[in-house]
Amino acid sequence: MIPLERYPKEITLRDDSKVVLRPMIPGDADGLWNFLQQLPEIDKSHFHEDVDRREVVERWAKKLDYETALPILAIRNDRIVGTATLYRNKTGWKQRVGIVRILIAPDQRHLGLGTAMIREIRHLGEKVALNYLLAEVIEEQQAAVRALERMGFEKMVVYRNFVNDRRGHLHNLVVLLHRMSGLEKEMFY
Amino acid sequence: MNCPICGGEHLPAGGRRGRTTSSGGGTCPYKGEAYIGLRAGHDQIYFGRWRRMDATSIDLRRACRQLERLLHEISAALETEDIPAARSDLGKAFEALQTADPGEEGPEALRYMDHALSYAHRVIGDLLHEKGLPPHAPGDFAEWYDAGEVPFREDW
Repeated sequence: MIPLERYPKEITLRDDSKVVLRPMIPGDADGLWNFLQQLPEIDKSHFHEDVDRREVVERWAKKLDYETALPILAIRNDRIVGTATLYRNKTGWKQRVGIVRILIAPDQRHLGLGTAMIREIRHLGEKVALNYLLAEVIEEQQAAVRALERMGFEKMVVYRNFVNDRRGHLHNLVVLLHRMSGLEKEMFY
Repeated sequence: MNCPICGGEHLPAGGRRGRTTSSGGGTCPYKGEAYIGLRAGHDQIYFGRWRRMDATSIDLRRACRQLERLLHEISAALETEDIPAARSDLGKAFEALQTADPGEEGPEALRYMDHALSYAHRVIGDLLHEKGLPPHAPGDFAEWYDAGEVPFREDW
């Protein structure tokens, strides 16, 4: 079980505004839909499904399974302004590798929210004994890349013209890895 | 650790008061901040002479001692917190400091000192995050130091 007793957690951003962090619940479908509609096209490109279809978002909210995808929401005055999701495999060779995906509303960027979300996911990853966190970011999102690097993620590879946005334009994909503290204590045979 | 600005002894413990920075004459800018001792201790090193072009071996050795003291204070603050990533980073900070070897004056020593200070900054940020506070930004206190320039700060 993933430990969630730290939520709801209130944090202060650089502009002294308050944001509450907590896991997503089924009742967040409308808020999440509104949040996703504010995102620029490039931020929507990595989703496996079309987030411009309301039924997709409603299905996500209904079928929450924190063991495979734990979405932490950042809420400011009842409005969702950011999400950080930790994806995990229950079995298989990547069960100790968590995948991180962080989205911040355009008008809430550069206030330290993204960095705070990275800290949250890193903390959760430690608590569920992950060995690595993996983040994939489009190279244009330099602020996100730098924030991940500052938090200990290492740029492993940049794939040139590797992913396409929803209009078919190609972008470079940066893959970053964070080695978790528990890994240093692991025994290898 | 004595505050590099007001000379007072700031306790390293955390609090939840948040920022009430005053730039009034004679007032310590760290007053009212959480983890005041750690912030002041960090900035004393961050803005220290050892990073200047004309730094001497004495400056470097002094910075090493200050950094070691800071890491021990961070270690004490971390004892009551459950932040495994921060403990790991603190270990890396100690390791980098040890590798720096204050007897050496070359660029390698400076680089490892920088690494140790960066890890320390990240751990202070973790401690503040656990209290729900934004990370420490040395640039906010630059005017109180004889700092030529402050590296560009960017938040996400």
